[in-house]
Amino acid sequence: MNLLAICINHHTAPVDVRESVFLKDDETKKFILDIKGRILKEGLVISTCNRTEIYGLPSDQNITSQDIQNFLLEYKSKKELSGEFFRHFVSRAAIEHLFSVAAGIDSMLIGDNQIFKQVKESFEIADEMHFTGFLMKRVFDAAIRVGKRAITETEISEGAVTVSYAAVQLIEKIFSTLNKKSALIIGTGETGEIAAKHLRDRGIGRLALTNRTFEKAERLAKELNTAVFPFDSFKEHLHKFDIIVSATSSEGLIISKADVENAMKKRNYASMVIMDIAVPRDIDPSSADIDYVFYHDIDSLNIIVEQNLEKRKTEIPKVKAIIDEEVTGFFNWYNSLEATPTIKTLRDHFEMVRSEEVEKNINKFSEEDREKLDIITKRIINKLLHHPTVELKKNNETNIDESAMKISIIRELFGIDKKEE
Amino acid sequence: MNAFIEFLNNLLPFLYVITFAVYSYDFMKADKRLIHYKRLFLFTTLLTHLIYLLVRTIAFDHPPITNVFEIFTALAFSISFAYFVLELVTDIRGTGPFIIIISIIFQIISSIFIEDLMEVKEVLRSNLLGSHVFTALLGYAGFTMSAVYGFLYLLLYKDIKLSKFGLIFNRLPNLEVLERLSYISAVIGFILLTIAMTIGVIWLPKAFPDFSYTDPKLISSFVVWVLYGIGILSKSFGKWRGKKVVVLSIIGFVMAIASTMLSNFLATSFHSFY
Repeated sequence: MNLLAICINHHTAPVDVRESVFLKDDETKKFILDIKGRILKEGLVISTCNRTEIYGLPSDQNITSQDIQNFLLEYKSKKELSGEFFRHFVSRAAIEHLFSVAAGIDSMLIGDNQIFKQVKESFEIADEMHFTGFLMKRVFDAAIRVGKRAITETEISEGAVTVSYAAVQLIEKIFSTLNKKSALIIGTGETGEIAAKHLRDRGIGRLALTNRTFEKAERLAKELNTAVFPFDSFKEHLHKFDIIVSATSSEGLIISKADVENAMKKRNYASMVIMDIAVPRDIDPSSADIDYVFYHDIDSLNIIVEQNLEKRKTEIPKVKAIIDEEVTGFFNWYNSLEATPTIKTLRDHFEMVRSEEVEKNINKFSEEDREKLDIITKRIINKLLHHPTVELKKNNETNIDESAMKISIIRELFGIDKKEE
Repeated sequence: MNAFIEFLNNLLPFLYVITFAVYSYDFMKADKRLIHYKRLFLFTTLLTHLIYLLVRTIAFDHPPITNVFEIFTALAFSISFAYFVLELVTDIRGTGPFIIIISIIFQIISSIFIEDLMEVKEVLRSNLLGSHVFTALLGYAGFTMSAVYGFLYLLLYKDIKLSKFGLIFNRLPNLEVLERLSYISAVIGFILLTIAMTIGVIWLPKAFPDFSYTDPKLISSFVVWVLYGIGILSKSFGKWRGKKVVVLSIIGFVMAIASTMLSNFLATSFHSFY
């Protein structure tokens, strides 16, 4: 199989280099339009903040993976970029690499589900641009299967590996259902926004926001359909919340131990979770000494993240075994698409049907007609198979993709694979 | 028949230990393949235990509730059976080893000291005694579950407060669930103990000529009952929560078991039959 691939990712290049070859969705579509037919006849372009990868079947046999790399660098006007940032794969290695990407074991955050979605989206773009042929669709199906199997059959995606998710995981170890709980997000910067969205996605009962710049909080509140408190009076409402997530860029503490103590008294010491994910911290850490206050800062959340990442690493061999299995399966299928063995199997199949029927009905014919029956039925079979045989042989030499598709259809229609099994 | 009873009596502690080992291994490793097997182990142990209790009842012509060691084996069964039902109904996993170990303790004590009792006092063959002991037994099983879940609550509470995210954090259900399980078990235990005490107060004076309201077992049971009553009411009215309630439950459990043992071995009581 002459599948080629080039990739530049977090293993091979620093972020500024990765950024310089990053392709947004509309750029990817334009890139596909340009490369299609000139370098690749079908393929796939995956471009995220951590990687840009191009897979494809070359338009002609003289094209190499270096040509794809040159095309990308020219397209992004980055000819000066060193080749050492790229890795090249051919055939089985390319398939293996794509499967590793889809399964999340090549990601910066091992087992990251996000990449699985991005691979799917990349295939959708390729499909939309008519850049996916028969073979690439089979590659895509196998890659998606690998991604799904990795998630369901292993624990590669289990546990939180970001601070925001770790905060939610910790909250869920204290409260059984979030739909009856309320949360206040203090600070609506990027971290606060992510935390708010995680909590909303987990079905938090009531969500409220507060931010030093009121308009910013209001904007996010509108998007998330939540309440907003003015920053100078939010402390009066602390006791109303079961969960407090603080992520401001304030230089000093904004909530003292006394504030927490007061809030706890007002809520009759019902459990309160405080996630202080700001650096420097927003809430007095000694609040942790108060009964039923579960105070955690970024360091304790990082412990959960590290533990989960370690656990995911131990799952890599299981994912690799799935990849091996799927790569072998894929190549078994691919190798079965060669014309000569298919023609032979097809002829054997027809001959078997013919001889069985002749044998079954031979007694209905006289001695002298039996030989003629054999000759005539053989002739019918030969005539029936003549055109398909010529077509398969012809296609095999000129158009691999079309030939593979035809062979695959024939094998499926006549159940040849099942018979061989 | 007696040889078979003896065989089962010796086999049961081993079965409980094996089941405990499987549950503990699953607790440590969280091996998905073990989920159904461990339940099968517990089911087999419970089935064997049930056969043992039935065969004993038939062979000795009385239910195994006439002395403390018979009660202990019945208690071991009740506790694990209650957990088995809980696991099936709620799908809450990860707490099995902590419950089964209590059954192991009761069963080992019972297996070592239990004797073949052919003759029991006539008064102990009464149906009312059966109801009295049966409800008290299930009530104690409820208190045991409540105490274990209370203990697990305290462990997890401490680990979360100290940012210790180890096995306890990863495997146990969340704090609210543990608190609820402890509370519900205590409520069930309290209701059953109330029934047991009511039957006892009505029946005991008639059955025992030396009955006394100052009997140590009666007093200690009443103290346990009051203790759980206070805890349940305080929790229901929202006055107490979390640690306070579960600590009370653990104290109640220790008192309940201590009173059963003390009244049978040390004190002079009409409750001592052995």
